[in-house]
Amino acid sequence: MAFVSPNITAYAVEATEYPDLARKYHVSGVPKTVVSGDDGEIEILGALPQDAYIEQALSALSPTALHEDTKATK
Amino acid sequence: MALISQADQDKLRETFNEMTSPVRLLFFTQTLDCETCLQTRQILDELPPLSDKISIEEVNLVLESDKARRYAIDRVPAIALVSGEKDSRIRFLGTPAGYEFVSLIQAILLVGGRPSGMTEENRKRLAAVDKPLTMQVFTTPT
Repeated sequence: MAFVSPNITAYAVEATEYPDLARKYHVSGVPKTVVSGDDGEIEILGALPQDAYIEQALSALSPTALHEDTKATK
Repeated sequence: MALISQADQDKLRETFNEMTSPVRLLFFTQTLDCETCLQTRQILDELPPLSDKISIEEVNLVLESDKARRYAIDRVPAIALVSGEKDSRIRFLGTPAGYEFVSLIQAILLVGGRPSGMTEENRKRLAAVDKPLTMQVFTTPT
């Protein structure tokens, strides 16, 4: 996702080596994704199919942060 | 002693052949107070001999704090994947051992030009994101 969008940064965090981060985000099982955007923070537990994963991740953004690609190019 | 078995080395060498552009691994480290930095460096050192498209650049978090800030890295060991001068914005925090090693290899291949499994529709949705989004994926080595 980071590779596709210049606005997305992705971190793979080794939870046992960074217990402070794991504690901060209440990581009790892996994989767990914490997504932070302008509309707050959301959590994705476990692995999801691509569509559902992206859908959930983008819900951390306000609707205005997602410009309509089609409108922008027309 | 090599950390990667001969059979796995052969497999990786073949997979890395699919790369079309070079990938630089920025390895953020510090001299003191980093238990897993040496192990991380040892793992990373196994990769460049398997592909002339993979290189490693060591960055000292303390001595090169400007560079670390530029890549938003504030802890070690950490790895940032860069293609040419283009930052992929893909980072690994902690030792890339076990399952994390597999993820690192996948990330190298992606940045190196291997087609990803992402659908065109999702690619468009992501390209439309115009506010910063930070994703932290927590994993363990097993």
